[in-house]
Amino acid sequence: MGVPAIPMCTRAYTELANLTAARDGMPHLRQVFTPHPVGGKTDAELAAYLVNPDPVSGKQIMKEIIDDLTVPLSADEMKTGMQSIAAGAATFGPDTADNLQEIFMNNGMTDYLPIVTPTEEKVDAMLKGTSHSPDEVLRTPVQGVGYTSARWGYTVRQVAVNAVMAGCRPEFFPVVLAMASVGPLGLFGSTTSSSTSIVINGPIRDKLNMNYGLGALSPFAQSNATIGRSWTLMGKNLTNGGIPGDTYQGGQGNNLDYNNLVIAEDEKNSPWTPLHVQFGFKPEENVVSIFGGPDIRQGHGARGAGAEIAMFDEQISFMCQSMVGGSGALVICDPLVAKRLVEQGYDTKEKLTEWVFKKTQRTVKDFRESFLASFHLYPLALQGREPYATWYKLPDDAMIPFFVSAKQINFVVCGGQANAFFQVANMSHGRSASIDKWM
Amino acid sequence: MKVNRRNLLSLLGMSPALLAGSQVEADQKKKGAHSGAGSEPKILAVSPKGTPPAIQLYSMAPRASSLDGKTIYVVDATSFLGSETLLKKMQAWFQQNMPGVKTVFRKKAGGYAEDDPKLWAEIKANAYATVMAIGH
Repeated sequence: MGVPAIPMCTRAYTELANLTAARDGMPHLRQVFTPHPVGGKTDAELAAYLVNPDPVSGKQIMKEIIDDLTVPLSADEMKTGMQSIAAGAATFGPDTADNLQEIFMNNGMTDYLPIVTPTEEKVDAMLKGTSHSPDEVLRTPVQGVGYTSARWGYTVRQVAVNAVMAGCRPEFFPVVLAMASVGPLGLFGSTTSSSTSIVINGPIRDKLNMNYGLGALSPFAQSNATIGRSWTLMGKNLTNGGIPGDTYQGGQGNNLDYNNLVIAEDEKNSPWTPLHVQFGFKPEENVVSIFGGPDIRQGHGARGAGAEIAMFDEQISFMCQSMVGGSGALVICDPLVAKRLVEQGYDTKEKLTEWVFKKTQRTVKDFRESFLASFHLYPLALQGREPYATWYKLPDDAMIPFFVSAKQINFVVCGGQANAFFQVANMSHGRSASIDKWM
Repeated sequence: MKVNRRNLLSLLGMSPALLAGSQVEADQKKKGAHSGAGSEPKILAVSPKGTPPAIQLYSMAPRASSLDGKTIYVVDATSFLGSETLLKKMQAWFQQNMPGVKTVFRKKAGGYAEDDPKLWAEIKANAYATVMAIGH
């Protein structure tokens, strides 16, 4: 911008602020920190923040701001040019397998579960799962900090190392490469502790023995388990993400990060269009779709004829209205639920999503007071972006849709038909990618 | 600003969680020295890390010796709860303690992760400096 600028945030983000400045090319950036938090404090408390010490530097905050804007720059603060950086050691060892487990774990390169040690031989075997060159670049490194990573780059070989560590077989590798191709990779660094869901469609589900039947979301198949795990390992290692206090700020974290809610859709027992076809792919194509959001919840409904749709109606409305607004819903139906909904007339996903969209409403007051509205959606309303601009002009008791569009609601089918249960992930669709491209 | 060891490491591209060669090598030496597992086969593992970018360093903007007669934009960059109030308290402080400084309050447009080039151009045209409340 070319004018003196002083960023100010709370002490909770000291490390993140300093690392962000360094990665953006200003490692000595003058910054000011207030006590944490700012939100929820009274006017008097916030006024006092300004005349009390910066909890990081110890200087009185207003004096610090004045000094930061008037004290001449040091040589370090005026330094320009390129700073080359390194990712660390290219190899570890030779050492015993147990010691290498410790080294990988102690250096933040695992999910703290045992890994398959990535030897050259195992990585070469993994690379046989694709026709692509090991040196092909999937992502070019970019200066700065993304929402979930430090924007590092990676090649097919570097992806293979992480696939080995996760326990993948070479035949799973095209799926992992397709996931790596969509980026940004998890872990999702937001304070919301959001996680990921990975939905896989196409004939490859059977080729890889993916489980979409009984216990589809539980650890009953190597492919479901290790493909999901590889997402988190790639996020930590390939993009330097998932470092608490640095590239990861999730307050409570998210247990879904261990597997990232892998869903192989049961296309045979689904009465609806498969998810990938809905997104424009051909039925015979193999596709991975990435969703992101904070949580998943279970509903019991659509168990018999007649009244069941009301049960589903009530539950889906309640479940969606307790979600984080502004994001989407990924509804995971057992085939029994899907069948009952079709019997009720919802024979297409479009009819169903439109019905959920209309059923899930809230008052303008609830919307305005929701977590995301104040800092995420209100600024959009100020820009005149719809529907937020209109919503902010309505009276408190006016009813508005919970979702901005029916397209934020997606349905997939899997499960063992043991009972008519469904689950709803508070997750939005990010991107989908061809798996076939990576075979 | 004082830069601690973790930050210095970050300048070299080293994550605090991965103190690069030094920590890893120390771990390896330590394990090697105390493993007592002479009969166990030793293997070489490949690093799972990606490739970091080179960093273009930028100089901070030159400083004036005094704020007298200057305009400072106080910018609510993320609209997190309380940030607008805090900045308006800052405006009041300047008015009371340094009346020669003019302050202008602005909210950055768009979502918290979106850029606002129009505002940056306005600041460049009208202000000596800006203080930005980032969060939380």
